[in-house]
Amino acid sequence: MAETKVAQVEKKKEPLFGKKERKLLVDPLNDNNPITVQVLGICSALAVTSLVYPSLVMAISVIFVTAFSSLFTSMLRQYIPKSVRMIAQLVIIASLVTVVELSLKALNYPVYKQLSVYIGLIITNCIVMGRLEAFAMANKPWRSFLDGIGNGLGYGAILLIVGFTRELFGKGTLFAGSPLEWKIVGPSAEYLINTAGTGYMNNNLMVLPAAAMFVIGVIIWIQRSWNKKLIDVS
Amino acid sequence: MEYINIFIKSAFIENMVLAYFLGMCSYLAVSKSVKTAFGLGLAVIFVLGITIPINWVIDHYLLSENGLLGIDLTFLRLILFIAVIASMVQLVEMVVEKYSPALYAALGIFLPLITVNCAILGGSLFMVSREYSFGESVAFGLGGGFGWFLAIVAIAAIRERIRYSAIPAPLRGLGIAFILTGLMGIAFMSLMGIDPAAFVAGK
Amino acid sequence: MESNSQIIKFMLVLTSVVALGLTALRQVTEPVARLNEEIFEKRAILLAIEDYLGGKTVDQLTDEEVLQIFDNQVQQLVVDAEGNVIEGLKADDVDFAQERKKPADQRKYPIWVYSNGQDKLYIVAVRGNGLWDEIWGYVALKSDLNTVAGVAFDHKGETPGLGAEIKDNPAFRAQFKGKRILDDQGNFVGIIVRKGGARDPEHEVDAISGATITSNGVTNMLIEGLKAYEPYFAKLRNAG
Repeated sequence: MAETKVAQVEKKKEPLFGKKERKLLVDPLNDNNPITVQVLGICSALAVTSLVYPSLVMAISVIFVTAFSSLFTSMLRQYIPKSVRMIAQLVIIASLVTVVELSLKALNYPVYKQLSVYIGLIITNCIVMGRLEAFAMANKPWRSFLDGIGNGLGYGAILLIVGFTRELFGKGTLFAGSPLEWKIVGPSAEYLINTAGTGYMNNNLMVLPAAAMFVIGVIIWIQRSWNKKLIDVS
Repeated sequence: MEYINIFIKSAFIENMVLAYFLGMCSYLAVSKSVKTAFGLGLAVIFVLGITIPINWVIDHYLLSENGLLGIDLTFLRLILFIAVIASMVQLVEMVVEKYSPALYAALGIFLPLITVNCAILGGSLFMVSREYSFGESVAFGLGGGFGWFLAIVAIAAIRERIRYSAIPAPLRGLGIAFILTGLMGIAFMSLMGIDPAAFVAGK
Repeated sequence: MESNSQIIKFMLVLTSVVALGLTALRQVTEPVARLNEEIFEKRAILLAIEDYLGGKTVDQLTDEEVLQIFDNQVQQLVVDAEGNVIEGLKADDVDFAQERKKPADQRKYPIWVYSNGQDKLYIVAVRGNGLWDEIWGYVALKSDLNTVAGVAFDHKGETPGLGAEIKDNPAFRAQFKGKRILDDQGNFVGIIVRKGGARDPEHEVDAISGATITSNGVTNMLIEGLKAYEPYFAKLRNAG
């Protein structure tokens, strides 16, 4: 795996942001994407992506949790007793998620309502736990932090693509529910493309949760046609 | 009657995987063969059936404002729930290993995976937000687990079958599994609107 | 291998640090969160009378304006099942979701009376079951206690794009304006959400296609919910 190699080369002087650090950030966006390649963290990804705005809030929350849980776990990695490793990691993650929950409640209550239980489910978002086990337990804090951010970004990117597709085709708007709502396609003069009288209808399928599965399936298809080394040979 | 109602509802109509997409990670990762899917599915029923009632007790008697401590500690809910789940899974693992080596051989490797299965924590959080009573939470745990079991066995069977089909190479494996799950989700939507109460009463 | 005491020590330190930190954070955020929740609920109520807010939509109102409207223009009262006003209670204090679990004759019903100089509107709370879970809403009646001035609905988990349209689709809500809850003889009929299109323009609205059960849920919620307020309304009508 790429990570173990990175871990081995850790000697000499370490630049604060060199090639390897960059790789940690960029790799999860494509070659090692948490959703489409590592198959992690799908649960919460799907249920919140019918609109872009909650997807964005979810993405930011996950980036926050992956980054800081990696940082703290890496800082504590010498002290965590092996036998309670998992519970200790979960306590760290769960408290970070509680931080997110409490802050969201105070900062943006309507979105908190919309995301409801899915905020709590970040705890079991396997990306977080997966990165702690695979990376943060064996690497220094700064790198773990970057790895956390990178994976959070890779996750967020897919979330936004799915949210964008579903909202645009399902509702004809973008960023609905936020102050920046854009009305794109719809049957009145308020919208950028006025479809009144043309017979265009929003695609209701896109609003259903199942559409998220289709969109991700298609994303995987496109990504693997273009990045052949990811093709499943088994 | 109420309990059977909730069991059927949570197993079929509000299926954890197909209606809420909970527990997707292990659902996709462990559904390559029916045999392993079967084992994981059983383990999920087991753990959901145990943890939801326990978390119900914790929520009502420890965290709630009207509980034994008399202070509102609901903001610690996430941490306590996940701690209960992690320790229950470990406990179940030890008990099963000691008393039923055969079951352990079948479930053993899946049990640690279950701690981070969103369906387990999700079940407990839904239990809170739907304000179930204790009995209802038992029925919900078992029903939800059974629904999850059904979904993973079904997808595993399909994936075993399509292994030799002519699927475009980039779509093979994960891609097609996503699309299949979407289709199954839509198929399950045809069950919605069925009133389980009428179903049970044979009306 | 670590010793047990080491493990216990580690977990104790970790959990106490975490618990302390979170408690502190909660103490800071709690008042803000409470206020947010209050404003969120109040906006939901105001959505039913959106046309009477002086040209602004509910989204355009600032948080302060929402609170001001409730302070200056809204009178809150609570009635019992016989239609008697319960003194000393505010409508905001009634947890209607909990009331619904009590036997019908012990329930308390909240009413918000909004006035803006020209109109006096009675906003009442209704609650029922949709397809998946509970649905609820607010109905604003004009001072004749018969004509609907506006409605707002919400739901716990209806299907997006289908049942969830009761909340998301402004056109569905708009249909209710001007409908009447009484027939010409003054008998209570409620409002019916009719599949296949409204037949009676006075008392019916079009259902959302593909969401029959949610639509029926809205019908039942409106009939049962509004009927519960009839004892009080009847007294008002007789008095005035």
